[in-house]
Amino acid sequence: MPMRGMIMPGTAMGGTTDMLAVGLFHYLFVGALLLVLGIFGIFLNRKNVIVILMSIELILLAVNINLVAFSAALGDLVGQVMAMFVLTVAAAEAAIGLAIVVIYFRNRGSIEVEDVTLMKG
Amino acid sequence: MSGTSMNWVLALPEIALSVCGMGILLVGVLQRRDTFRFCSMLTVGAFLLAAVLVISTGQGVGYRGLFTDDAFSAFVKLLVLAAAALGVVVSLDYNEHANLRRFEFPVLVLFSTVGMMLMASANNLMTLYMGVELMSLSIYVLAAFARDELRSSEAGLKYFVLGALASGLLLYGISLVYGFSGGMGFTELAKALADPAHVSPGLVVGIVFVVAGLAFKISAVPFHMWTPDVYEGAPTPVTAFMGTAPKVAAMALLVRVMAAPFGHLLGEWQQLIVLVSVASMLLGSLAAIGQRNIKRLMAYSSIGHMGYALIGLAAGTQAGIRGVLVYLVTYVFMNIGTFALILAMRRRGRMVEGIADLSGLARRDPAMALGLAVFMFSMAGIPPFSGFWGKYFIFTAAVQQGMWALAVIGVLTSVIGAFYYIRIIKVMYFDTEGEAFEARPASLSFVAAAGGIFTTFFFVFPAPLVAAAELAAKALFR
Amino acid sequence: MIAALAFYVFAAILLVSAGMVVSARNPVHSVLFLILAFFNAAALFLLAGAEFLAMILVIVYVGAVAVLFLFVVMMLDINFAQLREGFQRYLPVGATIGVVLLAELVVVLGGWRFAPEATSLRFAPTQAGLHNTAQLGRLIYTDYILLFQASGLILLVAMIGAIVLTLRDKGASRRQSIARQVARGPADTLVMVDVRSGAGVGEIGILRPLVDEPEPAGDAHAGHDHAGHGHGGHH
Repeated sequence: MPMRGMIMPGTAMGGTTDMLAVGLFHYLFVGALLLVLGIFGIFLNRKNVIVILMSIELILLAVNINLVAFSAALGDLVGQVMAMFVLTVAAAEAAIGLAIVVIYFRNRGSIEVEDVTLMKG
Repeated sequence: MSGTSMNWVLALPEIALSVCGMGILLVGVLQRRDTFRFCSMLTVGAFLLAAVLVISTGQGVGYRGLFTDDAFSAFVKLLVLAAAALGVVVSLDYNEHANLRRFEFPVLVLFSTVGMMLMASANNLMTLYMGVELMSLSIYVLAAFARDELRSSEAGLKYFVLGALASGLLLYGISLVYGFSGGMGFTELAKALADPAHVSPGLVVGIVFVVAGLAFKISAVPFHMWTPDVYEGAPTPVTAFMGTAPKVAAMALLVRVMAAPFGHLLGEWQQLIVLVSVASMLLGSLAAIGQRNIKRLMAYSSIGHMGYALIGLAAGTQAGIRGVLVYLVTYVFMNIGTFALILAMRRRGRMVEGIADLSGLARRDPAMALGLAVFMFSMAGIPPFSGFWGKYFIFTAAVQQGMWALAVIGVLTSVIGAFYYIRIIKVMYFDTEGEAFEARPASLSFVAAAGGIFTTFFFVFPAPLVAAAELAAKALFR
Repeated sequence: MIAALAFYVFAAILLVSAGMVVSARNPVHSVLFLILAFFNAAALFLLAGAEFLAMILVIVYVGAVAVLFLFVVMMLDINFAQLREGFQRYLPVGATIGVVLLAELVVVLGGWRFAPEATSLRFAPTQAGLHNTAQLGRLIYTDYILLFQASGLILLVAMIGAIVLTLRDKGASRRQSIARQVARGPADTLVMVDVRSGAGVGEIGILRPLVDEPEPAGDAHAGHDHAGHGHGGHH
């Protein structure tokens, strides 16, 4: 299996490598745009908690793209190991988040967050 | 590859605590009867066992540099374990009354404590992240633990959404730091960042994101928005727990990250910490004035206290870190004591949380009023109570570094803060007498007495604690 | 060249579907776009040489997390139209802030450079001759065993949390008790009654089944024999 992500140490320091197919910056740009979309989604969908949870997943995906890109550019596996742990934690987070949404819905009958007036914020 | 070995024995306290946690979970699941009290006792026992192991475990770096055991981590772990054990004890009576008598409660507290111990020993950004997540995920569940109460599930939801956003930012920062320096270990990072001339904007942005993520966990301004709501909405024992142990662990982690890997970049982050610290102190003292709910008041008070503790970090010296540690110890004991007394505010089977409910307390329950008065004086920083000495060590460290302005702002805000602490004392001693509370259970009296005795008599014998803090701070500046 | 082209295609689809996730009217559509985003992100991982992560992303995310989202969206009876209010109102401010943040990040990331010591500090350089999964496996089960176990604890906490929050045992669920079923003989459940011809049930004195088991209400149709109830668990 050809290892496209592999690079020789040293070539990475130029910033772009041919082993990443495209430059490192392209990956980082995709990651940054995903991060911004995620944050944007949280503040825009203030009423819909489920979309907020999905936006959080997008943020974590952005982080993973960053980590994988750096890992390939540096020729170092630590980034990928970290990305794996992030995936694990994200799955756990999704489970707990959805559980909390479910009990919130049971108590309130809706999943709106914005008109939360019970506690002044 | 750093030449450190596996040395798995170093994590023995964490391993033992996790195994105990799984055992307690099994006990709770397999027994058909009500095991809440039994499991809570087992959890306190497991904390004691872990504390003994922390003291007896050697020092060093293990797991290929992921994990470190030094005087600093031991100090923080013992404090966290003490706070968590007291947190479990104060939850006993409340949970039985509020129909939260479920053995999962102490188990979640235990796993959250394992996360905090990982944080205290983190020597790698990955360990840091896993520790933070293990701690936070448990606390999200605990905040929503009263699942039939709208307030509690709302608190859990708010805390979860903002917490997940904060850890997303923390992670983004970690990825940038990793991308710049090619490593995640604190030792490697310190090497890569030894020369401030090499600093790139990407790295600085990464550090800012990391600080933002951790500032959320200690609820420092501008990442404090969740604190009052979550404090008020969560079941009170959970508030007591998350106002103490997680704050200690997160603050210790922030101190270690700033001192160890980013220590050479003091010039880059010092201003940031100063800013956060001043904003937290101001908000903590000003916003608390109008509060009528004592749990909300404690939330603003904890924001302010974290601001004071950050002064020590901003100083960036060994004396400053020592001040932070002493401050955290005093903070934990006065906070858990106060919460024990707040938990005792129950009338006709229902909890009351208003400050007005305390009126005339001195005449109907002098012991409780005296206890609260001691804690309030201490939080206001009035000598000879322990809160004063915590502030004293912090402010002297700042002054030694020539940060006069910061110290002056600290003193001024604590004078403003004293206003609302002393208002509570006025309500208790001089207002008309209200309806009496129900009899206080022994567990709450015990915790309040322990906190009160520590707070009052700290000044008599401060030397061992200060020496231990000194030793712990030294471990960061090897 | 092909790889570069593939990158742009996948990245474009990823970003568009991420945009749809946050702006779709119907949360079910959001989840479906999220799945599309995960697939494309997996393709980007493949292009960067992270084969194992790509597969995990598809299996864990699309297979478990996205389906969990879908499940919850469909389980909760949500008034979707109401939830859209405010979207338009926040759009201009949100978009401005987003563009500014993105511009700042682009400026920062555009001139990315590594620390001079970065190569020497690598903890686990990729090795030629071993495929990605094997290399990751070697790391995770040795050097990173502590974190591997910690992630196990995190999943355990998630499991406890999800159960403690949502499981409701109201006592209404009718569980099968095998021991009781097996221990049950005909004598416990079968009653022989002599019935005069023409007599009503009330006259004989049998209104409820004689078995001690609580029967669901509405069982007013009291027949002559109540046997056969007790053996329901066997089929």
